Amino acid sequence: MSAEAKDLGGPADLTETERAAVEAELRPLADDEFVLAERYTEWQVRAPTLESDLAISNIAQDELGHARLWYDLLEDFGQSEAELIWEASASEFRHATLVELPFGEGDWADAILRGYLYDTYEDLHLHALEGTSYPRIADRVGKVLTEEDYHTQHARNWLSRLCDDEPSRERVQEALDRLFPSALTLFEATEHEEAILDLGIRTESLADMRRAWLSTIRPYLDSLGLSVPASAEGEVLADLPEAVGRNGEHTEHWPALFSEFTHTYRELELGEPPRLMKDPDDV
Amino acid sequence: MRVTMDIGTVEERAGPRQFGPKDDMPEEYRKAATRMIQFHANSEIMGAYLERPFIRQAPSLDRKLAFSAKVQDEIGHGQLLYRAAENLGIKTRKQMLDELANGEGKFLNCFHYPMDHWWETPMIGFFVDGAAMRRQATLKNTSWEPYAHAMDKICFEEGFHIKHGESILRELATGSRKEQELVQEAFDEWWPRILQFFGPTDDQSTHHDFASAVGLKTMGNDELRQAFLNAYLPKARKYGLEIPEYPRIHEHNDGRYEVVEDDLDWNEFWQVAKNDFEPGVAQIDSRKAAREAVAWVRESMETPSAGSSAGGVPGAAD
Repeated sequence: MSAEAKDLGGPADLTETERAAVEAELRPLADDEFVLAERYTEWQVRAPTLESDLAISNIAQDELGHARLWYDLLEDFGQSEAELIWEASASEFRHATLVELPFGEGDWADAILRGYLYDTYEDLHLHALEGTSYPRIADRVGKVLTEEDYHTQHARNWLSRLCDDEPSRERVQEALDRLFPSALTLFEATEHEEAILDLGIRTESLADMRRAWLSTIRPYLDSLGLSVPASAEGEVLADLPEAVGRNGEHTEHWPALFSEFTHTYRELELGEPPRLMKDPDDV
Repeated sequence: MRVTMDIGTVEERAGPRQFGPKDDMPEEYRKAATRMIQFHANSEIMGAYLERPFIRQAPSLDRKLAFSAKVQDEIGHGQLLYRAAENLGIKTRKQMLDELANGEGKFLNCFHYPMDHWWETPMIGFFVDGAAMRRQATLKNTSWEPYAHAMDKICFEEGFHIKHGESILRELATGSRKEQELVQEAFDEWWPRILQFFGPTDDQSTHHDFASAVGLKTMGNDELRQAFLNAYLPKARKYGLEIPEYPRIHEHNDGRYEVVEDDLDWNEFWQVAKNDFEPGVAQIDSRKAAREAVAWVRESMETPSAGSSAGGVPGAAD
């Protein structure tokens, strides 16, 4: 916690402004994990080998588990899982558009590179939450961080392998050219950014995180023979895509995906999503 | 020098977990075991392929997690079984996966049928998996030790899958009237296929005699189906499912069930068994297309590394 930020206490202790800021911090975290996992599961039974199939399934399930942890904290404020996800409207989601993009058929380079860009961002984000003024978040950051280490490792192993021969490196480069602008949407702020920082909910600004992210990914991808659209001084040489996600505006792929994964829930008019596991607070 | 065991000796020694990679088994035994294990491994993959769309359609976070984990388990079972089959020295894993893709590889009848709706999922997740469990439990005593060993892990995990399938069934069966009707419809449609899961009666099964004589198979199709009906007919009734009138099943006083074989569509069954059933062919082909779309990755992995240290990539899964 930064020196001047006070301990915000539990959900019931928050003022309206504080609560709005905590929600604005949590919602993108939860949605990013959830939607990325949803996309990752497309690789199940379709990955290049049985071994890589098992690995990407693990990662998808980790991300889903993390989404569950963050949604659970949002539920503290009175919204149910049904309201947050299954009965929400598509525009309530605040994930970055990077994670909602569909994968091209067989585009494993996209899956790996997207994972790398996202995991590097997430690692920075989670570290910026280790000193959060909201104890409910602090309690959960450690568990998530432990699992994310493996994800970054997985992505790096694959990237260096794929970039080892020319044809697959070209595929990775194509994925990079396409995904890089969308990856920048991870760092787009919500209207609550100032409050989030002032209240010490997160200890680093998204702008600073973006600089740190660039200074990590650029030299690494460079060393693999890839060309990142950014200068050595950290100047980004790409434009943000039209839809950034964090403000609720998404690409045309999102409503389609949202409609697919809520299909059963709507068709059976469930009213309540089945719970199988214990509440994260009880384990 | 090792001498290949003759069939007579194999039959004499046949028993639970009797033979392993150290034994020089006759080719006929190795081929029969490969056929069985390859079929089993293929079925894991094709079952997973059939169920994967329901990871997306699962109606809650917990169900989605459970479905994803289940599909992952099936892939893990496939991996384990292909390894056990490879040990027999007849085919490599790559050969077996190629055969599955090009339509030569055989797999369970139920996985040739398309599954379009969430309320169908317990038909696989509870009934078919339950039937598979019956068979797999007996395979813990198969004579090929690596196969039996794989079965220890597989049966353990399958236990969880069946619980998950039962939980979805319970939810639907105790849900709204619409849910109850839909699950009954699914049951009507799937029930005959489930009865055919165990294949034709033993006297019509082509590979039964040899596989039994050398201890690969420890229980016949008839006996397995009997055990399945004993356990699962009451369970179906418990969840309010009505057993369809056809195929007729006579319940005898001694508790044995008799299925009227002529009520089942054996023409379709044999079509399925030969990979000639159109919906099944569609499954095989779409999986093949997905597999070919990532062939470039496998090729890239086989390309000798230009000095990178990433040699261990595929192992990252372990």
